[in-house]
Amino acid sequence: MESPTPNALPRDSALPPGRPRQVAVIDIGARAIRLDISEITPDGGMRLLESVQQAVSLGRNTFGAGSIDRESIEECVAILKGFRQVMSEYGITDPAQIRAVATSSVREAANREAFLDRIYIATGINVDVLEDAEVEHLIHVAIHSLFETIPTLNSGEVLIVEVGGGATRLLLIQDGYVTYSGTYKLGALRMQETLETSLTPYDRLCAVLDQHIQKTINQMKDTVPTRTVPRLIALAGDMETAMRRLLPGWEANDTVRLNMARSTLAERIVSTPPEKLMQKHHLPPQEAETAGQALLIYDRIARAFKVKEMLVSAQSMRRGLLMKMAGISVTHTRYAEQLAHSASALGRKYHFDEKHGVHVADLSLKLFRALRSEHGLGPHAEILLRTAAILHDIGAFVSNNSHHKHSMYLILNSELFGLTRKDNTMVALLARYHRRSVPRLTHPEYAALDRDSRVAVAKLAAILRVADAMDRSHLQHIRDIECSREDRRFVVTVPDVEDVTLERLAIKEKGSLFESIFGLQVILRTAQNLKGSSYDG
Amino acid sequence: MANPSPLAFNRELSWLEFNQRVLDEALNRSLPPLERLKFLAITASNLDEFFMVRVGGLQQLLQGRTARDAAGLTPREQLTRISDRVHAMTLSQRACLREIENELETHHVRRLTGDQLSPAQTHHVQHVFTHEIFPLLTPMAASAPAPFPPIPGLTLCLLIRLSPKASSRKNRYVILALPRSISRTVNLEAEKGSAYLLVEDAVGLHLGPCFPGERILETATFRITRNADLAVREDLAGDLLSEMRQVLTRRRESACVRLELSADASGDCRDFLKRALDIDETDIYSMAPPLALSSFLNLGPAAGNPTLRAPSWEPRLSPLAPPGDSMFSLLSRQDLLLHHPYESFEPVQRLVQQAADDPDVLAIKQILYRTSPNSPVVAALARAAERGKQVTAIVELKARFDEARNINWADELENAGVQVIYGIKGLKTHAKLCMIIRRETTGIRRYLHIGTGNYNETTARLYTDVSLMTCAEDLAADAALFFNTITGYSQPVKYRKIEAAPIGLRDRLLELIEGETARASQGQKARIMAKLNSLVDPKLIDALYAASCAGVQVDLNVRGICCLRPGVPDLSERISVISIVDHFLEHSRILYFLHGGEPQVFISSADWMPRNLDRRIELLVPVEDEACRSRLIAILETCLADTAKGRRLQSDGTYRPVPPSGAKPGHRSQQWLYEEACEKEKAARGQPAVFQPHRPALTP
Repeated sequence: MESPTPNALPRDSALPPGRPRQVAVIDIGARAIRLDISEITPDGGMRLLESVQQAVSLGRNTFGAGSIDRESIEECVAILKGFRQVMSEYGITDPAQIRAVATSSVREAANREAFLDRIYIATGINVDVLEDAEVEHLIHVAIHSLFETIPTLNSGEVLIVEVGGGATRLLLIQDGYVTYSGTYKLGALRMQETLETSLTPYDRLCAVLDQHIQKTINQMKDTVPTRTVPRLIALAGDMETAMRRLLPGWEANDTVRLNMARSTLAERIVSTPPEKLMQKHHLPPQEAETAGQALLIYDRIARAFKVKEMLVSAQSMRRGLLMKMAGISVTHTRYAEQLAHSASALGRKYHFDEKHGVHVADLSLKLFRALRSEHGLGPHAEILLRTAAILHDIGAFVSNNSHHKHSMYLILNSELFGLTRKDNTMVALLARYHRRSVPRLTHPEYAALDRDSRVAVAKLAAILRVADAMDRSHLQHIRDIECSREDRRFVVTVPDVEDVTLERLAIKEKGSLFESIFGLQVILRTAQNLKGSSYDG
Repeated sequence: MANPSPLAFNRELSWLEFNQRVLDEALNRSLPPLERLKFLAITASNLDEFFMVRVGGLQQLLQGRTARDAAGLTPREQLTRISDRVHAMTLSQRACLREIENELETHHVRRLTGDQLSPAQTHHVQHVFTHEIFPLLTPMAASAPAPFPPIPGLTLCLLIRLSPKASSRKNRYVILALPRSISRTVNLEAEKGSAYLLVEDAVGLHLGPCFPGERILETATFRITRNADLAVREDLAGDLLSEMRQVLTRRRESACVRLELSADASGDCRDFLKRALDIDETDIYSMAPPLALSSFLNLGPAAGNPTLRAPSWEPRLSPLAPPGDSMFSLLSRQDLLLHHPYESFEPVQRLVQQAADDPDVLAIKQILYRTSPNSPVVAALARAAERGKQVTAIVELKARFDEARNINWADELENAGVQVIYGIKGLKTHAKLCMIIRRETTGIRRYLHIGTGNYNETTARLYTDVSLMTCAEDLAADAALFFNTITGYSQPVKYRKIEAAPIGLRDRLLELIEGETARASQGQKARIMAKLNSLVDPKLIDALYAASCAGVQVDLNVRGICCLRPGVPDLSERISVISIVDHFLEHSRILYFLHGGEPQVFISSADWMPRNLDRRIELLVPVEDEACRSRLIAILETCLADTAKGRRLQSDGTYRPVPPSGAKPGHRSQQWLYEEACEKEKAARGQPAVFQPHRPALTP
């Protein structure tokens, strides 16, 4: 049950000026449902007004029995009804003000559709089930401010780890860019459910858990493209209350630094009965039961990658969701840069003509911006176009014949950090449609898209074709362009190039999609033409 | 109050000492007679509650384990000492009443007995009896074969002994309960001044016609007190409300813990009641009539003569909250601290009332605990809900003895559309908090009222309390979270600034005390000042002892129970405790920790008792606004320096007046604070805060 554009940035970001708006983010997790009520000011400032959380047993249900039982569903309904009340106290009643998401504990449930329908019917709240890739992306967005406040994080390697109830997520950041992201089915609660550790004596628990954790750690070592990472940022996620109470010195906001060398905190907490944690440290029950497990996973990952310094942060996916609702431009720019970086990395893997790819991307963006009023697409489409432009020729690695089709399936089968599955499909289709056949409903990937996305693909493909044509020589002759409209013509003026014959030919060959979509004929004009335009007629 | 344990005082005996201090005010000849009578009535009603709750509870404990308390006393030992102490206190109360009545007589206010009435007065009494009293009386046969009738607690009763029937030699008894709705006095016209007759005497005069054909041998007055401390097992009942209604009726049937009996009652009467009520000899308090001194609080006939009363201290308006000003614009500029009842409660009501009418207000949340009937706050909440605002009221049904009143407005509020929540199961919501969510052009702003007293306009004129009104962001976020926790929308998570019982409050207090201890151990200056109603909690007392030993100067102003034993070498020599009993009831809780020179000041709803810290929802709120903080420190210092009404707790458990320093007359803190409020108000009037430019009137 995906919304049409689950990962969409606000379309054409112009917010109505004036008053701040109140929004709510709801995160349905394995152990708890959390609600953040925030305020977004017209300049993109954010202010957290309230945080509310309630324990649920979704994770226990899904990871243990494979589906969510009636009782848990009704428990969630009751909690969300309460949340509606809290939201209404801030005037939050319009669905546009509310973003509700769920992760693995709902996604993996056999009866997830029934669960989501029941929630929608009873509370009017539409819950999006997020893919792992989306969650990873949201985490990346959320920790942005951390990288701003601690600039040293932007050089060298940092491993971001979030241990949730059902999954552990890793993001490897090298010199400020995500170079690897992955989600592993190792979670504090999942581990407890699979191992049925409730019967294990406390003195043996640590050893049992360690054995289990080690399997995933080995897997991580195989996939994470580095052996050691000096710094690790642990996101407290849905263990925030526990972490705040257990970690000494973690007051109010931001982060706390942990000395890894001598810490035995994880072992100590694992071997402490939850009742005692509740009593002594006032942990909420669901966190008391898994705090030790979570800490142990953090600890073991840190040791596996020989981490020297661990930072614990309260930033969470919810903050990422909020920042996206706020449409904060810095996020957008950073996201675009990150994606371009990932795309180039993928391209290099297939020995692509990087100069050509990047150049076509540049030209595409120039055309995209010049045609804003014609295509009416937002910044997210812009990012997809740029990514596709960088990667459009990577299929040549396989064979030059039908290389556009090879580009498509290479992209379809690659992970590009920050792209949802649908985004990925769109990028792959764009690469495919950079030459030869125009989009057709007989193409299954294209036909599977919703109408809006199909239209977007067609528009973006039209632009990509023209941009590609303008670098037919692969020599990046055409750099600066000026665009204008004359009658039913879209005139691209190239001031500093004299001979554009090749490109004109290419446009003639590839421009028909553009013409049929935008109703404009593409005309390439040089400066000479411009001078002569007085007698050109 | 000799005590076997060196470490702490017994809380019941400490409480009795407090009641003695109130009685001392009643015995204070320098006070006007009606002020003295007020204090006397308070001691009596205090004792009533004490027996219902504490003695009742202790008597129940007799059936179970005989654990010793912190002072090393078993329940039986405690009960014996209580009984001794109260018997003595009762005698003292009688003597006090005689003294006051004598003084009133010199002012021509006389209590008459039946045989002192003039013919005109007799006629008037007859009239009142027939029309106002008799219709409300229901004589109940009390001797076999009739079962002993149910008698409501704390109600004055007449026991009437009738002569035996012809065929028998057994006395017959009839009980006549005088409903509490009947005025205690029949006011009479007198040649000079005024006079009154007690209602039991009026009834006694006219008993004959109630028992036609019978011979009345004797009439005695008595009053019983029932155990109120029924353990209400919340986990057993689903519907708290109906449970409370049940308790209200159960309470009437619960065990008799005290019998007050007029001293002129015969041995027959005494034995009859003792057997019928199944009560121990030590729980019978025989005393010279009249009984039930608590109803002397409003002595009708003398009310008109102001010279007999203490000058009334009308609440003054704080110059910081000029009448009519919008509380929202005021609070958005600065925090506001009010000290009631020196300063009026009006701005607090105004905040809620303006919130109800303000179109930008989205929601109001409020805890109601012991609110007065017809409260404007309650009315404003209902109005706000009718206007479509989200209104939540947490109505605490377990406010002792106020249940019946509470249930009423709960219904009314619900009808108006207010979301009414009956507290958290197992915990009494004692915090005083109101939050208003308002959408302003710059975004959401949340206004708070945080108090040490209840939203009760009547007690706000009698109790000293502190109100903090603010829209500070951190406190607002905490308040929002606090409300979500107690309304069940959220699990308790960590607050930014405040602490709340039962989860973190004691730990925080311990941290604060231990912080001072640590500083003192390192040779820094360290000081604690605290103003509380009661200090009982053993952990906190131990922490204070440790602080004293480390060199922390601890100055406490504890009005009521104080189990801490001050001034003991190597234990508590740096702790001093004073108690103030004066015109207003001392009620605010203010805490001060020197904190290395950056004082931390708090207001709180919680007394330092296990009950408050473990079984109640209470708040501890830091006051960070500089002006408000200085004001609170000044209040603490003023109270701690009281040499007129202050009594210092001695290490043997007794209280002694604090001698004024030098030749100056005693410093009476309440008077000082009141005069300060008056001066501030006057100064503000003399000098308008806002100059209004004179503009020529516009002609239409």
